[in-house]
Amino acid sequence: MTAAVALSSASLDGATKLASAPQDARREEAAITLAGVGKTYAARDGAAEVSALQDIHLAVPRGRILGVIGPSGAGKSTLIRLVNGLERPTRGRIALFGRDVTALDESGWRRERRRIGMIFQHFNLLSSRSAFDNIALPLEIAGVSRAEIETRVTKLLELVGLTDKRLRYPAELSGGQKQRVGIARALATEPAILLCDEATSALDPETTRSILQLLKRINRELGVTILLITHEIPVIKEICDEVAVIEDGRIIEAGPVFDVLTRPAHATTARFVEGVTSVELPAHLRAALRSEPLPASLAVLRIGFAGPHAATPVISRLSTTLGLDINILAGRIDAIGEQPFGSLIVAAPGDIAALGATLAALHVLGLRVEQLGFIAVAPATPARSPCEEVSDVA
Amino acid sequence: MSPELIRIIIEATVDTLHMVLVAGGLGTLFGLPLGVFLATSKRGELFPAPALNTALGVVVNITRSTPFIILVVAIVPFTRLIAGTSIGTAAAIVPLTVAATPFIARIVEGAIREVDQGLVEAARAMGATPLQIVRKVLVPEALPAIVLGLTLAAVSLLGFSAMVGAVGGGGLGDLGIRYGYQRFMPEVMAIVVAVLVILVQSVQTFGDALARRLNKRLRHA
Repeated sequence: MTAAVALSSASLDGATKLASAPQDARREEAAITLAGVGKTYAARDGAAEVSALQDIHLAVPRGRILGVIGPSGAGKSTLIRLVNGLERPTRGRIALFGRDVTALDESGWRRERRRIGMIFQHFNLLSSRSAFDNIALPLEIAGVSRAEIETRVTKLLELVGLTDKRLRYPAELSGGQKQRVGIARALATEPAILLCDEATSALDPETTRSILQLLKRINRELGVTILLITHEIPVIKEICDEVAVIEDGRIIEAGPVFDVLTRPAHATTARFVEGVTSVELPAHLRAALRSEPLPASLAVLRIGFAGPHAATPVISRLSTTLGLDINILAGRIDAIGEQPFGSLIVAAPGDIAALGATLAALHVLGLRVEQLGFIAVAPATPARSPCEEVSDVA
Repeated sequence: MSPELIRIIIEATVDTLHMVLVAGGLGTLFGLPLGVFLATSKRGELFPAPALNTALGVVVNITRSTPFIILVVAIVPFTRLIAGTSIGTAAAIVPLTVAATPFIARIVEGAIREVDQGLVEAARAMGATPLQIVRKVLVPEALPAIVLGLTLAAVSLLGFSAMVGAVGGGGLGDLGIRYGYQRFMPEVMAIVVAVLVILVQSVQTFGDALARRLNKRLRHA
């Protein structure tokens, strides 16, 4: 996977690079390129000037899904609105498929927007129009003939699975159905880019999953490049190829989703990722945790798996080759895209020699190991089978 | 009751309906675009013209704060210019229209400001022009509220139309004053009031039903 999210250094002059860098093929290929983009809202009515975005460098590769994640107020909404000209940057350059659109006027942007679909958290469907007529709206705006509208909208209703809801009004549809109408409407003009503004934040988890699957299908089957913003890490994990983490108007970390989620470099990213990838000790064991070994205590280790190693039978190998009893206390195995990852908390014999051998064996396998402490061998612990103690599995 | 009296009452009802319908129609014709403009011309809106917005707002407020009976007298020269006379049903339509236009404009402005800004943003994201946003989004979405407002305006106009009788306009108000009050015919007054009550009821019932029909928000799956 190429690291197509470009986090170039601040000293780089984004504008010049954008205009005259044919050697940089990645940038030319990108569907959306933001180079050194900043957005400042002018001071008004005594309020101080507000800086929403600073020095944003971002490239969304053609045909991929990039997710921007960050806490609310981080500048996500402003960022996504820069891409279809609903907001204008105060600094930097924006290019779509290599064409600089920074200086477009409003009528130029109107033409451009017909090639960019957008869906919204609250769907923004017209209550006075049926599902059919809502999907037809962008086509009416573009001046498409009535017959052509009929054909295209019928196909779109089929694509999003709402053929039977054709004449229903938004008030008669569920949240998930409304968002499907929103998606069909966004795709009506056959755009090359789809912007998703917190598109699943108002939906329940099950509906979220089905909407995300639909977006993924659209991306794979129609080749539409998707830029989405969210504050929910599962959305990133579920469908994104690339991720950028934004905080206080700056991108603090970016890269392929697997890399960023399994090896977060920034504290904010780690906080976002925590609930999805990491595993915690159950409370009663955490309370019993000591920092120093006691006679006959067990060492508690957190083993992180990522990529190919997640598939190796680590625990059984340790038992068979070293003859050690490894007890699993908590664990989670998951996958991002097709790449497995996971983490296990295990109790291994705590005496110096055995622990040393265990750690060495794990390092040889290239696994990340974190020593959490020691617990005394409680009478109850060995009696339980490992299965019962696997907790918090996703 | 003499057939003559019945004929007069029917004639007066027709006059009243004539004045209300024409003044209401003209008021909507002028008030709708004015209301749309008032709702979309502040700073940062679809047709930004803050100075004109403020100026029109002041004119609308002045018209609306002038008591109707004073407005009728104050604009007599204007009425004469438009209708050629200042007496009669046709002439009464002029001040009624002048009163109805700002009233309807404010109603339309309010209805349009109630439309979710998210819809405007969605339409902009589709590449809609400001005029397309007005035609395809703002007015259709505000229509149920506009219809209710127009119903209110029609009921007010029925009341105003009774007043123009005092300055030589025709209609039910004029009939009530001349026969009922000045000629001591309380039964005429009672009939006039009864006809007005029926008219107001009918207008309100019709308006409510139409607004309900247009409002797709209340349906549930």
